[in-house]
Formats: sequence, structure tokens, C-alpha cells
Amino acid sequence: MGLAGAKNKRRLGNDPNNTKWSRNTETFGQKLLRSQGWEPGQYLGAQGAAHAESYTEASTSHIRVTLKDDTLGLGAKRNNGDECTGLNAFQHLLGRLNGKSEDVLAAEEKKREDTKLSLYVERKLGRINFVRGGWLVGDTLKEEPKADAPDVKSESDDEEEESTEAAEPVETTATEEKKSSKKRKADDKDEEKAARKKEKKSKRRKTDPDEGDDAETDSEDPKDKKKDKKSKKRKTTESTDENADPTESSKSSKKSKKDKERQSAEESSEDVTDANSAEDAKKAKKEKKKEKKEKKEKRKKDKSPSDSGAEDKKEKKRRKKEKEASESTAASGVSTPTEGGSGYSTPTVTTNTRYLARSRFIAQKKMAFADTAALNQIFMIKS
Amino acid sequence: MADPSKGTKRSSVDGDAQDSKRLKTKGGDSNGKMAESNPYLAHLNEDNNNNQNGFDSPLDKLERHKTTSQQAAACEDSDLNPWTGNPHSQSYFKILKTRRDLPVSKQREEFLAMYHSTQILVFVGETGSGKTTQIPQYVLYDELPHLTGKLIACTQPRRVAAMSVAQRVANELDVQLGEEVGYSIRFENRTGPKTLLKYMTDGQLLREAMHDPDMTRYSCIILDEAHERTLATDILMALLKEIAQRRSDLKIIVMSATLDAQKFQTYFSLKKEDPPAPLLAVPGRTHPVEIFYTPEPERDYVEAAVRTVLQIHAVEPEGDILLFLTGEEEIEDACRRISLEVDDMVRESDAGPMAIYPLYGTLPPHQQQKIFDKAPEPLRKGGRPGRKCIVATNIAETSLTIDGIVYVVDPGFSKQKIYNPRSRVESLLVSPISKASAQQRAGRAGRTRPGKCFRLYTEKAFKKELIEQTYPEILRSNLSNTILELKKLGIEDLVHFDFMDPPAPETMMRALEELNYLSCLDDDGGLTHLGSLASEFPLDPALAVMLISSPEFFCSNEILSITSLLSVPQIWIRPNNNRKRADEMKAQFAHPDGDHLTLLNAYHAYKGAEQSGEDTKRWCHEHFLSFRHLQSADNVRAQLKRIMETHDIELVSTPFQNKDYYTNIRRALVAGFFMQVAMRESSNSKVYKTVKDDQLVMIHPSTVVQSPYDWVVYNEFVLTTKQYVRTVTNIRPEWLLEIAPVYYDIDTFEKGEIKSALTRLTEKVKRRQAIKGGR
Repeated sequence: MGLAGAKNKRRLGNDPNNTKWSRNTETFGQKLLRSQGWEPGQYLGAQGAAHAESYTEASTSHIRVTLKDDTLGLGAKRNNGDECTGLNAFQHLLGRLNGKSEDVLAAEEKKREDTKLSLYVERKLGRINFVRGGWLVGDTLKEEPKADAPDVKSESDDEEEESTEAAEPVETTATEEKKSSKKRKADDKDEEKAARKKEKKSKRRKTDPDEGDDAETDSEDPKDKKKDKKSKKRKTTESTDENADPTESSKSSKKSKKDKERQSAEESSEDVTDANSAEDAKKAKKEKKKEKKEKKEKRKKDKSPSDSGAEDKKEKKRRKKEKEASESTAASGVSTPTEGGSGYSTPTVTTNTRYLARSRFIAQKKMAFADTAALNQIFMIKS
Repeated sequence: MADPSKGTKRSSVDGDAQDSKRLKTKGGDSNGKMAESNPYLAHLNEDNNNNQNGFDSPLDKLERHKTTSQQAAACEDSDLNPWTGNPHSQSYFKILKTRRDLPVSKQREEFLAMYHSTQILVFVGETGSGKTTQIPQYVLYDELPHLTGKLIACTQPRRVAAMSVAQRVANELDVQLGEEVGYSIRFENRTGPKTLLKYMTDGQLLREAMHDPDMTRYSCIILDEAHERTLATDILMALLKEIAQRRSDLKIIVMSATLDAQKFQTYFSLKKEDPPAPLLAVPGRTHPVEIFYTPEPERDYVEAAVRTVLQIHAVEPEGDILLFLTGEEEIEDACRRISLEVDDMVRESDAGPMAIYPLYGTLPPHQQQKIFDKAPEPLRKGGRPGRKCIVATNIAETSLTIDGIVYVVDPGFSKQKIYNPRSRVESLLVSPISKASAQQRAGRAGRTRPGKCFRLYTEKAFKKELIEQTYPEILRSNLSNTILELKKLGIEDLVHFDFMDPPAPETMMRALEELNYLSCLDDDGGLTHLGSLASEFPLDPALAVMLISSPEFFCSNEILSITSLLSVPQIWIRPNNNRKRADEMKAQFAHPDGDHLTLLNAYHAYKGAEQSGEDTKRWCHEHFLSFRHLQSADNVRAQLKRIMETHDIELVSTPFQNKDYYTNIRRALVAGFFMQVAMRESSNSKVYKTVKDDQLVMIHPSTVVQSPYDWVVYNEFVLTTKQYVRTVTNIRPEWLLEIAPVYYDIDTFEKGEIKSALTRLTEKVKRRQAIKGGR
């Protein structure tokens, strides 16, 4: 606890655990139990019972609990002010000290820059929203490209995708905005996710000689990821600082929070562990993933290395989204950069929720003022 | 607190009936003259009459313990009701059809075969398998209790469950509730001479066992929801295990809803070399549930829960939400926040409507019922579907089945009772749930279709921070009441009593010690007359002893009222938005000497308002009193009064004009609560020290006590950030020495303020006596 922390003064007695009583062998209870054949250190209960092995430690002494008088979530630790922040600038150096190769470091650096850029653009200009329009396969539009589509096709897909995106009408209603942020965030997070997946894969296939190289680079992934997160965290804290305008900032922070949670839900969907109930679903998912991965690798080999990177990624993202959309809407294709500078998944709340609602109301009013048709309606001008 | 697991004493008429029956079974006389004197065999005569009248029950063809499912099905299909001889009602066959669709129905034959071959059977069926309603009926068609005159009992941990299930089964069998099928709970008995199948709370069966140690009235006992491991169920299991060795004709079925069945199986192998008890498992009708964790821990689980609910509402398809939180205040707060945000969501976007219902134990029943309402309709035709969101404590974890839940939000906490035998504090604390309980919560999402469970903690936290199983109640409670019951049941050797999970030795010691100080146990551990009497009351021993000894202080009427008021939840209402007014109203009833007396004043005022014909409900509302809790206190009072009357405990009062009216009451309080006394540390301090345990406490801010007294007796020790004592009344230390000389034997005290204060006091008393004697 730092000096600014809340003081919790509490007086304890000389013997708060009352060991005086528990050590006293002269109490009635202890005498009686001893007279019936109990010795200190023994369990009560039938002698030599078959179920004795299932006794818990609560049968030896009372259950000890810690007093919880806050709303800190399960597993969360209070920030005692001893955590290091602002290490972002040193990521490169630290990575090198940890023995990472230059390529990996460069990739990380790029990732950080990308997030920074996209965040900047998002804040400054806002986002344009697109609605999914399916895949153009040959001459016909399809919901999903065929699994065994040849490379040529997939290339054309990508082109098509871009063109559709550009052609899509721009919509800026409140609900649509959410979607867009989803999309954007998917972009940001995609790399990370892909890395994670790879990591899993690599674990599974470590013995596979073909995958040797892959596994080697992947083995560093967890570290990378961590750092990545940290850097992103920092960025977001910066961003919230900059967002001094209450209407703006609250709005965006709220949204991102939501996205955040959705993302978390999605992420965890990948490592579902409820063995008995969700097993089937999991299996199916895994298989799908595997399939996709293989496909991707195949394509990678075929394509020229220069253009495969970006397009491949996009393609993958698309498909992934689709898959998830069809499977579960919790995983509605959202993923955000890790936000909240304190290692919690809900970011710091600077304004209370009531205020958030109010600010949205104000924003709505502003919008109405900008809209002549709406103004006419408000002032009841017939035109 | 009123303990729902405890029941009233059975009337002596029943006791006689049991005795006569025991004689009968010993004599081996199957249908002799005893049948006429035994109310539970009265229907035998009727059956004979029926046969003479031409009613030919298909049951006559069956042979006990040799029936098959075909035979039973044939009986069920017959035109006349096999149990009553009346024609079936219209709905009977419709219900019968749905019953046969239940998962458990497919295994009826298997169940019967197993049932015939073994004495103790462990039955595992997930929620929704129909075990609670169907298994007792299967047993009914096999045991044919109308031939033997021995009943079938099915225990439930909760009173509400016992009542509602009995009603349901009565409908299914097409009989009147209270006739062939009945229930028996604390303060209410709906059984009759014809009753064959009886649903009851586990506590009620335990109470019956006190007067019928061999459970001779029953031929089969079914312990339902055994996985909940209530105190009473745990004791019953140990008892039944013993009885089963004495009575080979008694069949026992232990029903559980979780996978923990192996523990039950090992426990119920009667001898060590025996194989574990056989198990029959029936799959439930559940759907897969997808589990989601958060990637990072949450800073504020309430906030996170609220957001998750809103997000589900925004993006997830139709389906109701169940959110688990810990307590009343938290739930109300979350409900308020969710509804505010949802209102905004609806106003500003195309979100569907959402109905939000809180659910916790102290909520009035009609409000609890609301959770079964349908989700609201879309706001306009073709709009987004509405949904309901239930914000509940862990009562929704196992006990209630709410259909339509598809999403579960689980922050991973619940309020759990914890008892510390060293400081003698029993408190409800927020603590992490167990893995088993987290799975139960998740399972709630898969009742109607595949669902999702959002856990507001990381997978790592799930694996590392949660214990495997929730500790059974017996490890978390003060056992003084239980020990008293066990003694009454004739258990002498408490050390080797075969608990499924034995309590901590210290807990047992503390309980024994308390009972000894209360003179319920003599120095050899035997039950005293007072102890035997106290066990008749469904109360904590301290309260029972206070009540029994109150006539000595000429105030048993008043102590009876106070006892009932202490057995129900707080009667004071203090709404957040109207605290000042509520405090003013409470001040009207305040008695300068303490909260017990203030409670009594409020109760008397309530009764006064009732007698003067006022609208009591309105009166309570105006005075910030809980009408419901006062009513139930009234009910408890009537029940306790009946018990007192049966045991010839006088009901007396000191005249109100007498200056000793309140003094007597305070003295009577000491007679029961002399172990819950605190002394002020120093003359200008607010801190008190509890006697003998030396815990530092403060008086809870809700008290009416204005001037700080040196000695107080308290009802409750509350653990929050500080240690508080609640409901306190001022007493004089001389009374302690006079009324509880054994506990206040100065030689047993450690050196300290309390000892020196008491020493000074004794000297003073001695001197005074010497002066008196000298005159």
C-alpha cells in the first residue's frame, strides 16, 4: 500500500485466534472427547472407515477464510503501486537481452506501431463501417469460399473483397459503429491470435520434422505476447489521458470496454475446458481450425512471399470471422488490443455509468442539431 | 434465525401409534387386531371394505418386492385409480404420458431389479431427470405400503421443495394432497391416516427419529438432494447407516445430482469389507454449455457482471440470463444499474426489452414467484425479442429450476456460513465458490438448449483458487444444536459417530462445552433433564434454555416474544433513501436499556395496532417495520407457545407497573446468554472485550443504546471490517455471578481487566452481605 492508499486501521486483541482456549486441555469438551478415546491430532468419526480417505482438512481444524470486503474479482490482486509501468520504450532492448532474434523484434515493433497508428486514426477520424457482402467465387457470390478452392481463386477473392469493401455504402449509426470497431479490433488482434494458435499447434506437433522451424520461432511466442500486451496497455493509458473531452472519451471507452469483454469471451472460447458438456463443440472447432491452418500453410508455400503476408492475413481473418459467426455469436469476431493499464480486463472507469448514459444523450442532441430535417421536426416547421 | 430444518415435536398420539406398531412387527402379526388401533393401518380396513364393495384393485395381483415395470405400468394404465378406486380424472393420462417421457422412466425395470437386490442404493440423476417425483412412485408401486402399513419417506433440504413436490406427485397419482400423498415440514403437517408416501424436510425426519430411533414407521427412506449435504442430511445418513444394520427390512435410497456419487457409495458399504453400495445413474436432459473465461482477472466483479449482462443483451440471440451475486444489497444494486443501462439501450438503439428480477432468500414469496414470468414481448411486432435477467444468490444454483435460462454469468463468489470455534463466531462471509459449484452454475445454462456460461475469472484462477467441493454444512456450523439432537437420539460415543465428513475436533469440543455450561449436559456428558427439554424446541440451545428458565424470572411471556423475534430476520427496515425517517421511527420504540427490549416494545406496539383494528400492513409500513417478519415471528411464537404448554412451562408476566418489569427480562436474558457478554475496556472507550474469549468488539451502529454501559449481553457477533456485536442489552455484572456461577467462576479467568473487575465485584457483594448479616 502506498501512502495514498486507504488506511485500514484495526486493533487486534492480544490473542485474536484465542489459542489460549485451544491449548487448554482442561476444557470440558476436550476432557469428554479424550475420555471417549480421542487423541489430539486425530479425526473424529468411525475408526477405519472406508470413506476416511475422502476427509478434507476441514475435518482436522476449522475452515479458515480471508475476510473479503471489496469487490475485487476472483484471482485479482490489489495494485500495491509496486508494478512497473512505462517499459514500452525499452521493449526492444529488453527483447534483445532476452535473446530474441532481430526479426522477431522487428515484427513486434511493427505490431506496436500498427496498433498505435490504428488507435490514432480511430480517435482522430473515426471509422467507416462496412457490411459483409459474401465472397465472389468466379461469377457468383457465395457465403463462404469452397474449402478446396485453388490459389487463383483465393487471390481473386481478396481483390474482390477489397473492392466490395470500398463499394459498400457508408453508415454511421450508433449500432453500426460498434460493428466497425469490432472489425478494426479484429485487425489489430489478429496477429496476436494467429501467433497464439500457432503456439498451440506447435506444442502439439513438436515432433513433426516439417514443422521444426516453425516450432522454434513459436516457442518464443508467449513472451512476445506478454510484451505486446504490455505495450498496448500503455498505449491505451496514454490514449485515455489524451481524451480529455468527457463526451468523446467516455463514449469510446465504454464501447471499447464492451468490445473488450466480448473479445475476452471469444478468446476464452478457444480454450473451453468444460469437458463433459462442450466437448463435441470443441472437437468440431478444433478440427476446423486444423483444417484452416493446413490450408493456410499450403497457400503460403505456393504464393510468392512478397504478397502472401498481408493478403493472407486478411483472408484468414475473414474466414475466421465467418466461422465464428456461424458457430457462436459471443465470438462475433471481435477482438481488441488489450486495454486497461492495470492488468485487469475491464479498463479503469473514470466516469460512472450514469454519466456515460448522459453523455450519450448529449451526443445525440448534438447530432440532432446538425441535422436540418430533425431540427425542422423539433421546431415543427413544415417544409 | 429460524432454522427451517428443525421441526416441531411430534404429538404424543403419534408416539403411541409408533409404539403399538413396533409391538406389532415384533409379534410378526401381519394383519391382526393392531391394525384397528393403528391410525396408519386404518386404510387396511377400508381396503377390505372396498373389496367387498366390488372395487378390485390391480394392486392386489402384485407381490411385494417382486413387481416388474410392466405390472406397475399396467396398474397405472387401469381405468380406476389403483390407490383410491375412483375413476381417473381427465388430466391423469395426459400427465402419465409426460411422466413416461422422462429419462428416468426408461430405467424403471433396471431400477426395480437393483432395488430388489440391495438394501442401500445410490441413485444419481442430473437435474431434469425426474428423479424426485418418479423414484418415490416407483417405490410406491413396489413397496405396496397399504399392505404393510409402513410409509415411504422422501426428504428434501427445503420446505418449499417438500411442499411443491408433494403437490406435484399427488397430481400425478391423481389423489388428494394430504391423503395418500402428503408432506410434513416444520410447523405444518399435511398427512393423514391414509398417507402412503410422505415428503418431508430432512430436519423433520430427524425430529421424528428422536422419538422413534429405529424409524419403524417407514419401510423405505429416500434421501433426496444428498449432494447438498445439509446438516440434517449428514446426520440422517449416519443414523440410517446404523439403523440399516439393525433393520434389514428398511430400504434406503440416496439420491444425488452430482458426480460425487462415489463418496456416497463407499460410505454406504455397511461393513468395511463389503463392496460399495450399488449405483444407478440416469442421464439428465441437459444440453452442452460453452464456458468462457476472462483473459485477465476482474478489478470489480459486480461492475464486470453488469457489463457482461448488458453485452449479452446487446449481441447474443434470444435466451434468458442468470447472474449469480452474493447478497441482497449487491443484487439490488446490480439490478438498479442494469435496468438503468437497459433503459438507455432501448431508447437509443434497437435493443429488445429486458425484465430484471432479483432473487434472494429474504425476498417475499410473491416477488420470488416473479422469476417464473415469461420474458417480455418484443417492443413492437417483429422487433428484437425481449428477455429476462435473474440476479440471484446461490439459491438458484441447485434448488430452483428456471426454464429458459441460456446464459449464466458467474463471478465466482457466494456468501457462505463459516464457524470459528475459537472465537465462537458464526458468520456469513463472501468467499470463492468451489469447482463443483461453478460447474453446477454453468449447468443451469443448458436446461432448455445449448447455452453459455461466462465466468468472470481466468481459467487459471478456476484451476488454482477454487477448492474441489463445497464444504458440507457440518464443517461450517456451530454444532451445539446438532450435538444436543444426537444426544437426544441416544448417541453416546460422539467421537466415533460415523460422520461422512467428521467435524473438526475443536468445533465438537466447543459445542460440548457450551452445552455443559448451559446445563444441558452433565459433567459425564449425559443429557440432563434441561437438555432433554431444550432439544424439544427447534431453537439454538441458548435460546431454548433462556425460554425454559424464564418462568423463574416471572417473564416467560415476554421472553417468548423476544425469542420469536430473534428467530426471524431483522424486523427493522432501513431503506437507503429514507434512513433518517426510519431511525426516527425506531427511536419511538427505543428502550434505553437495550435492543432486546426495543424489539419487545415494537412487537407490543404491533400487537396493539392489531388489536385496535388498524391496518397492520400500513401501520408497519409507516413505522418502518417488516410486516412479513413480524407475522412470521407471531407464527413462531404460537408454535413455541404450544411446545411450552405441552411441557408444562408456565407462561407468566410481571405486571407492567412493577418497576422490575424490564429488570426481570434483562435477568432472564442473562440466563441464556451469559456466554455472550462483553465488558467495556475502559471508562471512555468504545471498545468492548468479550468475556473469556477476549475478542475486541464494538457495538453495532444499529443499536439504540445511547449511553455506553460497562457490561452488555449480545445476541450476535458480526464480522465485517470491524468486529461488531449486534442486538445488545445492558446488564449488571452481579447478575452474572448470581445466575451463572459456574461460568463466572473467577478462578477460571485469565489475568486481565475482566478478572479484576469480577474480583472487585465479588468483594463488594461479600461486604454488602456481611453488612446485612451484621445487622
